[in-house]
Amino acid sequence: MGGTDECKTMLDALNKVTACYRHLVIALGSTSDSQNLREELKKTRKKAQELAVANRNKLTELLKDKTTSKDDRAEYERLWVLFTSSMELLEVDMKRSLEIGQEFPLKVPTRHLIQTGMTGSTTTVAARAMSVQNMKYDADSNIDTADLKELQAEITQVGQMMEEMEMKVQVAPWAVEAKQEAGAELKSTLSVGNSSVGVISICEEEPKDEIDEGGDNNGMITCIAGFIFVAIVVIAGILGYFVIGG
Amino acid sequence: PLINTISGVVKLCIVESVMLEMQDPKTGVKSQPQRLVITTIPHAITGEDIVAWLTNRYSIEAEEAWALGTMLVAFGYIYPLQDHKRLVIKPDASLYRFQTPYFWPAQQWPVEDTDYAIYLAKRNIRKKGILALYEQVQYNSLHKWMNHKWDFIVMQAKEQYRAGKERKKPDRVVFDCQERAYWVVHRPPPGTVSAMDYGLERMVLKSIILHSLQHSSCFLCLFSLFSSLVKYSVTYNKHDPFLAPCLPSNPWVTDDVTYWFLNMANVGIPTKMRVERWTFSFGELLSDPRGRDDFRLFLKKEFSGENLAFWEACEDLKWGTAATMNDKAQQVYKTFLTRGAPRWINIDGKTMEVTVKGLKHPHRYVLDAAQTHIFMLMKKVSFTTLILQALLCPSWRPMRGSVDPASVPSSSASWSRRREPGWPPVALWTSHRS
Repeated sequence: MGGTDECKTMLDALNKVTACYRHLVIALGSTSDSQNLREELKKTRKKAQELAVANRNKLTELLKDKTTSKDDRAEYERLWVLFTSSMELLEVDMKRSLEIGQEFPLKVPTRHLIQTGMTGSTTTVAARAMSVQNMKYDADSNIDTADLKELQAEITQVGQMMEEMEMKVQVAPWAVEAKQEAGAELKSTLSVGNSSVGVISICEEEPKDEIDEGGDNNGMITCIAGFIFVAIVVIAGILGYFVIGG
Repeated sequence: PLINTISGVVKLCIVESVMLEMQDPKTGVKSQPQRLVITTIPHAITGEDIVAWLTNRYSIEAEEAWALGTMLVAFGYIYPLQDHKRLVIKPDASLYRFQTPYFWPAQQWPVEDTDYAIYLAKRNIRKKGILALYEQVQYNSLHKWMNHKWDFIVMQAKEQYRAGKERKKPDRVVFDCQERAYWVVHRPPPGTVSAMDYGLERMVLKSIILHSLQHSSCFLCLFSLFSSLVKYSVTYNKHDPFLAPCLPSNPWVTDDVTYWFLNMANVGIPTKMRVERWTFSFGELLSDPRGRDDFRLFLKKEFSGENLAFWEACEDLKWGTAATMNDKAQQVYKTFLTRGAPRWINIDGKTMEVTVKGLKHPHRYVLDAAQTHIFMLMKKVSFTTLILQALLCPSWRPMRGSVDPASVPSSSASWSRRREPGWPPVALWTSHRS
């Protein structure tokens, strides 16, 4: 079972990098786009590919072993489906980043970035993907065009890898049974900060009138409560004075 | 046929270049910051500014600008910040924002159910389990048929949620709005009309005409349009009842209805003019019911009748009532697409994959890709064979003879006898086309 634990850790890492990569690709072409973003995409992508190769080797080794028990085999197949699904997402995102990267070169002054309202940097997302505290940027200033050829070659590589995988490993994905039931995502993330709730509800519409009225009422009640509190403190003070004095 | 001369790439580039022009800091749409409770987010634009910009840029009427703006919103290039479920442009101070290029609609990137499942799981986390009713229904149905991938979906949803929280507050809000807007377009809430029902192609017509008239670099486009217009006029000259006399006589003028009788849909022997028209293009042959019947017989002999049957089923789906769409789509799948189907059609793997995926959520144009493929296949193979056989074997009659409306109807007239010495117009046309 040591094999599966190692596998799970590696798959978790690949999953994390894939999720971060998607966030980075979504920022392409928008006002968050910059040389740094292109470098972050490149580094994240390379990390994802390293993890992919490591995962593939480990999983093919486990699946080729004919002596595994039925339960173990079922578990390995489940991990395989996790792996291939991650890779599919990654491949699509890589192709999209190539397309959008080509459409939005950074150095051309007549080519404007789309004003999406996003203006912040994505450095924290990339740091999460690379599992580092801070990202270091050391690429040339023409990375937005220079990187595209490499990206094209990498996309072909990933495509070939996936084809090879399908040929070598005969796993029927629809036969796999998931361990998580519906709503499983709610567990273990409920502890994730409550402060985010306030921010996200801004996105929903809130009719202005209701807020104003509610605000006024709340203000009145707060004033009255404060007044009563102060009155009670004063009375307590007077009584205390009499008790001690008298 | 004129618009079809412009390739699909140019079409989509035009919509996107409209979007890019709107971004110009000097000549584009003016943006303003959107003030929210805790934070301020830039790049909000008002509906009236968008409509005004379109009116000025393309010198069109306000109503047309409104229609074009609504199309941009309906397809998800721009999304509303208030009333997010209604995808229209309100020409007042209502706020909108541009969508990020990743979420722009594109035919080469089909909308994946896996992504939708991940989105719903993320939304479930954010809403702490309280989803809207239609989202809950979708969630349950996806959980059922994507069950084998569910572990992945949960894992990916959690990771995407955590990665999203790494960004600053204003960017987080924007991202949530963007994603929500994308899914309102591609998985519309019940009771709303989706632009996707009408297909991406339809929207582009207006933008092409507007943009190419203004943009000087589309000169090549215009030139090709012009030359195809000339070709069209030359070909159809003799068939236009305004420009050439209608034989034997125009029923509206002489009250003699022979012309109509000779050209009925189910007539036994078609006229020469009609048969000549069938040779102009494959579309002409298919749109004439008599021509289609003859083509069907021809295909039967060639043992490829299922292609035409599939094409007709697709047309039926496109033009039929919405209530019957699901049943028709299922019927088509069972009869033509599934492995071992009685009338299995031969389309390439990628198209088949896309079509089968699309059939899980059938809409009017779900079979468009496959239909186009089969149409081109029939055109390149069957139609060309038909024309060549007619040319090279004068004694072979693919159609049951044709009638010269100028003389007494005679069943022995055939294409070859009509030919003048030299190249027949049919051969000229087909060689020119290829």
